[in-house]
Formats: sequence, structure tokens, C-alpha cells
Amino acid sequence: MPLIPGIFNFMIRKISYITIILLISFCTCLTQAQQPSVYQVTRMSFNTGAFSEISPVIVKDGIVFCSDRRFSGIKDRTSFDGRRLYNIWSAVRKDTLKWEQPEMLKSERSTLFNNGPLCFAPDGKTVYFTSEIETGKAARKKNFRNHSGIFIAELKGTDLVSLHPFKYNNPQYEVGQPSVSKDGKYLFFTSDMPGGQGRSDLYYCENINGEWSSPVNLGPEVNSPQVDNYPNMHPSGKLYFSSNRPGGPGRLDVYYTMLSYGKWDSPVLMPEPINSPSDDFAFVADENLQTGYFSSNRRFNDDIYRFASTIIRKASCDTLVENNYCYEMIEENAVKFDTLPFRYEWKFGDGEKGIGASVIHCYSGAGSYLVQLDVVNLITKEILYNEKTYNLEISNVEQPYISCPDEGTAGQNIRFSAESTNLPGWKIARYYWNFGDETIEIGKEVDKTYIKPGTYNVQLIVSTEPEPGGIIREACVSKNIMIIR
Amino acid sequence: MKVNKTINLIVIFTVLLSGLQTRSSLLGQPVPGKEENIPFLVTFGKSGETSWGDDDFYEVFFFTIPVDFKQQFYIRVFDPDTGGEHDEIQGEFNTRSLFSVYGGRGVDPDKNEESRGLMDGGNYKRGNLLASNVFGGEARYDNKYYTFGPFNPTEGDFNTKWNAYIFKIVCEGISGDDGNLYRYFLSRDRDNNIPVEGGNAFTYEYTFRMWNDFKSVAHIYPYIDTGIVWVKQRNFDWDSDGHILVVSEYKQGVEAPISAEDNWIEDKMSIERAEWGASLDFQFHKKQGAPSDLVKNNNVVVTLENQRGDALKFFSSPIGGVPVYQAKIRVTPVNPKK
Repeated sequence: MPLIPGIFNFMIRKISYITIILLISFCTCLTQAQQPSVYQVTRMSFNTGAFSEISPVIVKDGIVFCSDRRFSGIKDRTSFDGRRLYNIWSAVRKDTLKWEQPEMLKSERSTLFNNGPLCFAPDGKTVYFTSEIETGKAARKKNFRNHSGIFIAELKGTDLVSLHPFKYNNPQYEVGQPSVSKDGKYLFFTSDMPGGQGRSDLYYCENINGEWSSPVNLGPEVNSPQVDNYPNMHPSGKLYFSSNRPGGPGRLDVYYTMLSYGKWDSPVLMPEPINSPSDDFAFVADENLQTGYFSSNRRFNDDIYRFASTIIRKASCDTLVENNYCYEMIEENAVKFDTLPFRYEWKFGDGEKGIGASVIHCYSGAGSYLVQLDVVNLITKEILYNEKTYNLEISNVEQPYISCPDEGTAGQNIRFSAESTNLPGWKIARYYWNFGDETIEIGKEVDKTYIKPGTYNVQLIVSTEPEPGGIIREACVSKNIMIIR
Repeated sequence: MKVNKTINLIVIFTVLLSGLQTRSSLLGQPVPGKEENIPFLVTFGKSGETSWGDDDFYEVFFFTIPVDFKQQFYIRVFDPDTGGEHDEIQGEFNTRSLFSVYGGRGVDPDKNEESRGLMDGGNYKRGNLLASNVFGGEARYDNKYYTFGPFNPTEGDFNTKWNAYIFKIVCEGISGDDGNLYRYFLSRDRDNNIPVEGGNAFTYEYTFRMWNDFKSVAHIYPYIDTGIVWVKQRNFDWDSDGHILVVSEYKQGVEAPISAEDNWIEDKMSIERAEWGASLDFQFHKKQGAPSDLVKNNNVVVTLENQRGDALKFFSSPIGGVPVYQAKIRVTPVNPKK
């Protein structure tokens, strides 16, 4: 499948717009009746009615996206085969609702080729964008198809300068839709190069000493025999992408996967209304996964939609600290010598005993323990009772506490408990569980069944009743749980 | 100004020394000291065998009289004769011992190494002879005190570090082969044992008699001066009779090797910085066993030197008091084993 948006649209859309709209309305009504969504979706105000807007990228002041909208008042620029050119546009947010008029980011390729989708490198200046490798003029033949590749440029103001091609561009196949990881170490992209799982697949290259390694196919765990495209490596470690594989509401749908212990998890389908029976693709989200954008042609043509999660997920959430009841007890002067004619006998204060100048003991829980050291002089047989005592106070970490197994199996009912939460002085009014798969529960003890294998980051957010002055205190801990088949 | 400064320094030293020696003032100056729990010093007649527990047939002890003590004092010797009670007979008593007291220049072992009595052929009798007496088997001294003195403190050799006058007493087995067992007492009174406040006694080579029972533990207290990194302990003719445990505030009882019949053994032991300025406690535990296993009349010799080869002083009243081991517990959380 071609990766330039204009060509892509041409290939995919064959059903009449009226049919699509009717179908969307019907399905949406059905879905909404069955289950309230955890996402609220709104169409962006800067979308045009007649043109397409796709592939948003979140930047500091707003978004950068692709559109085939007119950029010249005199003449529409078209590709060699007569279709309007996609270019890269920047939209600056005025406030929470309004946006400035989008402005085009120009380059030497703007008037000749399709440009976009794109991504930014971690430096915020280097832009990786899709464009066409070959010139239309040189190849105006009947069956000729311009193939896309990735180009690298530097953004200066609203200009893309110092353009150079990605080393793995190839006129024989498509390479495009780049996404660079937050650490700049991996470049994900889409390609239909030979050797894939079928049609277009997701690939990545690793940056080794400033050079991109050979492309690696993400494999059958992620790629399907159908179209897999629009990768977006989110800072959370989730790799979002689109696919028209069976199992979704229809056509292109948004999925995500994560690396667990060196292997990609089975892709998880994003819920409606992110996905719809129409094409839903190019999903991007803020660091907290609370808001973001995606493209969809659910309304008429390709538009950019904003989503906001109604699920609470904290960007800053402490990792659960396991309470530790194990202690090493050392008679510090004694351990300096290899052999001493003494036997060190410890009474740990919980009825247990140990022998040695250095011992390790694990208590069953928090508490106050009086550790006593008796020393037996092996020469005189004299016993020095309580030669030293130590008051050991063991307290639980002050935090919300997640009690659950570290591992489970898909389909298994798993109990999550906040019973061991230790927040002295807090009158906790709500225990809110975010299971990391876009589902939530409320309660001190809840049950959860994961459908798919993977590693899920569970957050427990506790909040108090309003305190004097109306203050509500809140604390969050998180823990990973691995679900296997 | 300079005089004032000197006076101030003297006052500070005096206060420090009297602080260090508070315990010894209360306990008096018996030699061996009360805390040492040693029954007798022992010196054999020079015709004796070294395998009987005396390597050189003389014993040198030093007394310190603090500079602020202005009265006359006496050195009393208990059971100076060789015969009757206490002493160790070899065949029949035929031993004569010379006790001599020295003061003045040449006595202070910090200034005159020969005075310590450790050097072969060295003149350990340096100083002014203040008094001396030869004792044979006279019954009138048996199990009784003989008193040397009176002496004026200023007759001693002044030591600035200790801010005290140093006197020396030497017991020498000038003939015979028996063991003379005796004790000293530094006294303010000719006929009674009345301590000299702040006084002390020390030696560099301790030759003493062990107890003839299993339970009694003898102690000696070498002083660990600043800068000592390790000490070399040497002991002689222990007859493999038990264990030596070294105790300090930081050592609960580090075992030191012991010698066999008529031989020396030596061993190094590291010293921690925290042990500086205090005493070690060398404990001498006899080997436990059946009554028939008891080694009787065991006489031993002990010396210590630091890494520079300087001999260490054994104080009869330990400087800083008797060291008591302080156990130190550290409790740290560790990850549980999975």
C-alpha cells in the first residue's frame, strides 16, 4: 500500500460516503447503548470540509499535521497524476477550544511532491517526514507509481531545510510514516518491502553510533497479513499503530502493543469511539495518555479528532514499594575477625533465634521487636546474656498498597486489594483502580479479568474525603502485572 | 607570657593525668595491680632454668609519682625472701635476690631505652641508686613487707609526658636457682599500704606467676599510645596452658597464640585508631580440664612492641580504666531471598 496520504485515500475508499455515514451512525448508536465509552472525541475546528487533515503530531504550542488543503490562492498544486498534494501544516492553539489558522511548513519539495506524515526527533528540530522518492516528470507512464521514502530535514521557523533522504529508501517499495522513540534510539516506520508479513508492515531501525541499523520487521506478533501502518512510539512504551486486520469495528483501526521481556505483546484494540467502522489511524497522545489526537474519515473525509480520556491515569505515580521485613544483623566488631572464640546467639524478638556474628532474619510483618544478643565465650563457657539489645521498629511504607499476584493468565479472575494501604491520618473515601488496559474499577477490593496477555501497569489512586478547607488528599501507586496465555 | 603558657600546659597535663588515673588513685598501687589479678611477680636465681618461667632472672618495674604529690613515699616489698611461704623451691632454698631502687637521670625509660631492661647486655640499672638490699631465706621477711624509703618525689627522673617523677626498682636473682615470688606496694606510709594518689607502676617485660586453679584469670594492661597501628605480642614458657584473649572496647576477645615449654612465640595484632589512648586487656585463661590436668606453678613472661619496635608499657592500674568490650550491633534492611 502506498504510504503517501493521497494515494492511500484513493486505494482505500471505495464505498460511497452516504453508506459510510449511515453505517457509522448506526454502529455508534448501538455501541453507545451497550457500554459508555472511556473516551470523549471531538472534531477539531481547523478541519476543512473539502480537504483532508491527517496524521497529527503533538508539539509544544499545538499540533503539526498533513493536509491536501489549498496553499495557493491562484492554483492548486497537484502531483504528476493530477491529485492534490499533501503538505505539512502547523496549527497553534489559541486556548483550550480555539486554534490559529494553520500555517504550512515549506520545503523545496512542497510544490512538487506529497509531504507527510512526519515526526520530530527528541531535539525538537529534526523532522523525519514521508515524501516521494522519484520525480513525477521523469516517469509519466501509465502504470508508474511514485514510491514514498523518508526524508530528514531541519525545521527553521516554518521552513524545512537541509533535506536528505533516509538511507533505506528504495524506489522498488514504500517506506514512510516515521516515528522516533523518545530517547531517539529507535525509528519505527511502515514499509511494504519484501519479506514482510503481507501488504505493509511495521519496521524499526536502531541508532547505533549515529547510524540507523538495517530495518527489522516487528514480526508476526505485531504485523498481520493485512495493512499495518502509522506507527507511533509513545513515551510510555506503547507502540500505537493502525491495521485493517479482522477483529476491529472496521477498516483501519488503532491498536497498541508493548515490549515485554524482549517480546512484543499481542496488539490490543483501542476501544470505541477511538475506533469506528471507518478508517481510524495515526493515533498520538500526550505523555499521560489523557488527551491526544487521531485521524478518521468517519464523518466524510479525513479529519483530525481530539480525544480526552475520562479514565484517570496519573502521569506521576509512585511505583509500589514492597514492605520489607528482612534485616541483616551484624555484630560489627566481631565480623572483622575470621575466627573468634565466641558464639553469637540472637533472639529476634519474635520468638525466633539465629546464630552467627552476622545473621539475616525476616519478620512476618511490621511491629516493634527487641533484638537481644547473647554471647557465649567458648573458652570459659561463660554466657553473656543480653550483651547488647536493639529496639527494632518495623513500619510499613506510607503508601496506598496494591495486593495482587505479580503474574496471571488471560481469562483468569484476579483479586486486587488495597486492604494493606498505610496512610495514617487519611480518611480514604475512594479507591480508584486503573488496570492499564483502559478499564477501571472503584472499591477497596475489586476483581479483574485481563483478556489478552501482556504487561499491564496498574495504578491505585486513593483520595480522601474533603478535609477542612475543602482539601482532598490524593496518592497514587503503580505496579506491573504480567498476564500470560 | 611564656611562663604563663608553660604553667597552663602543666595544669592541663595534670588535670588530664589525674583524670586518667582516678581509678588507680582509688585502688592504690599494688604491683601486680588489683585488676591484674596476678598473685605474684617472680624472679629466679640466676642458676635457675629458663624453662621454669624466667627468661632473664631479673625484673624491672617503674613507679610514677605525680608532680603534685609533694610528700615522701615508700616502696614496700612483700615476701622479698626466698623460702618459707609462696616461693618456688628447686631442691632446697639457696637463692639470694637483690632489690635496688633507682632515681635521677637515666631512670626514665622514655629517655633511656636501656633502662627498660629489654636489651641484651644493656645497663638496666642506670640512674642513681637510692636504696638496695639483698634477701636470702630470712624468715623475718617471709610473708611480710620490707620497706624501702622514704624517698622524696624529686629524687626521681622527671617525665614531661606523664608529668611525673619516675623511679625504678630492680629485682635480680643474684644466686641460687629458686623462684622468688613477691609483690610491691607504693605507699605513703612505712608500715602500712596507703596509696600515693595518682601514682602508678609499669613494666616492659612482665614475668609473673599464674594462679594454681582453673577459674582465675590473670590480666595485664598494655597502654596503646597514639599512632600505634599494630602490636607484636611475645610470650615465653606458657607451657601451652590455655588461651590468651585480647580485649578492648572494640575487641571482644581476639585469641593470641601461646608459647610452649621454654620457648618464645610471637604474633601481630592490628590496632584500630579508636583504641588509641587506652589500654588493652590481655587475659590469661588457664586450660580447663580435670584436676589432674591443672598446670601448677606456671610462670610466664610477656612483652609487647609496636610497629616501630618500641616496647609498650604494662600499667599495674590500666590507663583509662579496665577496657570493657562494647558490642556494636548494626541492623540494616536487606532484600528477602526469592
